[in-house]
Amino acid sequence: MMNQIDRRTFIRRTVQAAIAAAAGGLPALDLLSLPAQAAQAPPLAVRKGQDVPLLVRETISALGGIQNFVKPGEVVVVKPNIGWDRTVELAANTHPGVVKTLVQLCLEAGAKQVRIFDRTCNDERRCYTQSGIRSAMESIRSERVSLEYMDRRAYKELTIKGGQAFDRWEFYMPVIEADRLINVPIAKHHSISQLTLGMKNLMGVIGGNRGRLHHNIAESLSDIASVIHSDLTVVDATRILKANGPQGGRLQDVRVLDTLIASPDIVAADAYATTLFGLSPEQVPTVVAAARRGLGVMDLKQVRMV
Amino acid sequence: MKQSSWTYARRFSQSFCLAVFLWLFLQTEYRGIDQLPYPVSLLFRIDPLAALADFLAPGPFGWSLLWPALVVLLLTSLFGRFFCGWVCPLGATLDGLGKLVGRGRRAFSPGWRRVKYYLLIGLGAATLFGVQLLGLFDPLAIFLRSLTLAVYPAYNYGLNKVFDFFYANDLPLVSPVVKNSYPLFRDYLMAFHQPIFALGLFTFLIFLTIVLLERVEHRFWCKNLCPLGALLGLCSRYAILQRTPQRLCADCQACDSLCRSGAVRNAGLIRSECLLCMDCTGYCPEERVSFGLRHAAAHDPGIDLQRRGVLTAVASGIMIAPAVRIGPVTYEQNPYLIRPPGAVAEEEFLQRCVRCAECMKVCIGRTLQPALLEAGPVGLWTPLVVPRIGYCEYNCTLCGQVCPTGALAPLKLAEKQKNVIGLAVIKKDRCLPFAKGIECLVCEEHCPTGEKAIVMEEQDVLVDGQLRRLKLPRVVDKLCIGCGICETKCPVEGASAVRVINQGESRRKRTELLAGPYG
Repeated sequence: MMNQIDRRTFIRRTVQAAIAAAAGGLPALDLLSLPAQAAQAPPLAVRKGQDVPLLVRETISALGGIQNFVKPGEVVVVKPNIGWDRTVELAANTHPGVVKTLVQLCLEAGAKQVRIFDRTCNDERRCYTQSGIRSAMESIRSERVSLEYMDRRAYKELTIKGGQAFDRWEFYMPVIEADRLINVPIAKHHSISQLTLGMKNLMGVIGGNRGRLHHNIAESLSDIASVIHSDLTVVDATRILKANGPQGGRLQDVRVLDTLIASPDIVAADAYATTLFGLSPEQVPTVVAAARRGLGVMDLKQVRMV
Repeated sequence: MKQSSWTYARRFSQSFCLAVFLWLFLQTEYRGIDQLPYPVSLLFRIDPLAALADFLAPGPFGWSLLWPALVVLLLTSLFGRFFCGWVCPLGATLDGLGKLVGRGRRAFSPGWRRVKYYLLIGLGAATLFGVQLLGLFDPLAIFLRSLTLAVYPAYNYGLNKVFDFFYANDLPLVSPVVKNSYPLFRDYLMAFHQPIFALGLFTFLIFLTIVLLERVEHRFWCKNLCPLGALLGLCSRYAILQRTPQRLCADCQACDSLCRSGAVRNAGLIRSECLLCMDCTGYCPEERVSFGLRHAAAHDPGIDLQRRGVLTAVASGIMIAPAVRIGPVTYEQNPYLIRPPGAVAEEEFLQRCVRCAECMKVCIGRTLQPALLEAGPVGLWTPLVVPRIGYCEYNCTLCGQVCPTGALAPLKLAEKQKNVIGLAVIKKDRCLPFAKGIECLVCEEHCPTGEKAIVMEEQDVLVDGQLRRLKLPRVVDKLCIGCGICETKCPVEGASAVRVINQGESRRKRTELLAGPYG
């Protein structure tokens, strides 16, 4: 499908071919999978607590404070999971309290604008209301905060360089154009990707027939994450959904863990979150694929716990 | 033509009522509150034809919903067809658009006046014998249906195109103004999702025909065809609001050509035909005309319905019932005939539904679509659940809230979530894991029941000569309520790999569930 290749691609392919030739028929070394951030271990903060605003503040300050991630005058997108027409206690959407405190932190750091949105699965009006996110955002009473419905006109097809599952997909441009992205998933069970965490949460800012991603979920999500960089990933595990995810609907599938995980490294955050479900990162193909492709660190021994 | 203050008062009333109905129409949409705060289907609660359909349907009369219609009938028997001249939104639309399309002045044979009575009598007889088609000709249903299925979608489409143009092209001066007005339109004056209806064009052409009949004769529809006008006419025969003089004046005869309903004759005033437009109080060159309350006097020649015509109408009406019944049972013929949640049993449903399209307007998931022939020969414009277009939202109860005649029972949320409208069936020749050996779970992921009605089971499947461990979806019949979100979201292009059929509906006597783990 590649009609034109740019200079960088050309050089990379030439080098790959040369290495392959030099190695005498060994599989080409994929330069893309060289972990870019492996040199310095990414920090990872995990905190527990029942007071949600306090929990968020403690977790973020463990990472050195919000000013490490948001600079004055910047446009920040906070991307929670608001995918389902479910109430807070059913653990299908990100906790509104977590989102609210994060937005407030961004405002305190001097953000020019904080935009919150999600491409929902159920009707977006119902999801925004039922999840409690709407009332939480309204309660901040700031003109700099805007909870928005996705604008159908703002999707644009982009090339995914080095895409494994797709080489093009539609992306939501306000996310691409924003100065910062704070990715705030909720940790949930999911039948195909096993878990839905930070990487899967990025599906809420792409267009197209998203169902198609499930055919090759690990590589697809890595393709998406290679285009959309999360400056900070905060995994909401105040309550998690152990079964019947990602939508839930029964209290007996919910476990209250009062836990928050945060890291600038989306793979590290997701990797740690797998352990809350009694899994190891190696067991979740999305995490493995992302780490192999250099999107972050999945080996929790190489992570700097703060 | 000179106009009296009565004419201005009537025009104000028409505009006001039209505005109220349009405002209620705009409120027939989910705006963040589960229970609609306004009586959005007011138009059908004051509709005597809807009340008639409800009255003749099995089960008790819906007093609590339909008492306003009886008030309208009572007021009509006192004051005449004020509804036609002062309230009816279709009448107001015809009066308003008449100037635009041009008005015919052809004097039609008075015999045409009888058609509306025959229509009413025929439809009434058919309803009495179990086939209710009143809604097809009910002017209020025609008005709201045209608005819902055609005019409003077209309006939204047009506006969206305008806003999209200025979004894509930044024109100085104009673009900022258009862009700034977008939130106002989006939030209050437009539909949240672009409405999509299969019968939009068909419905519009019928509406257009009625409007274009204005070119033949002013208020052609109201005078000659409207069965509601006929019913109100029958009620107004002994009205006490009376016009003086009661017949054409020998020296002037202006009313003969100027009266829009042709009600003033030499023999007297035909009260059942007078729309109470009251224009005559203005155009009378001698200023003789006045209206006042007094007991019914003579000089009402009425409309001679002719015994033969009435008998023919009654006979035709009665014949419709057996003609329909000799056909096959529709929902057995068409397994995809799925009704909205709360729908009563099919036969009663068809007797109650007045095809007003309120449910289709309010449907949050856009799943409700008007039927053409899918629901049988008399199911035209009745609501169908069409899951490939949209699905029934699990936590929504809006359609039952707006139905004016009890065709859809108003269900509480917990009841609605247990109300089975159909059953999802997986088509293994289309479903990706089964047919192509590709992983997919979109149906299971979206299944809204707390304990999922679609489960994934791991199984070794032979794919391309090799055994592969795959997760395969299965439907658990006893948990599935037929909401259809699986069919809507199925990522297979074209025909969905999972389809909802009408098996096991709550409204039907349930056949025994199959035993076994998926039963």
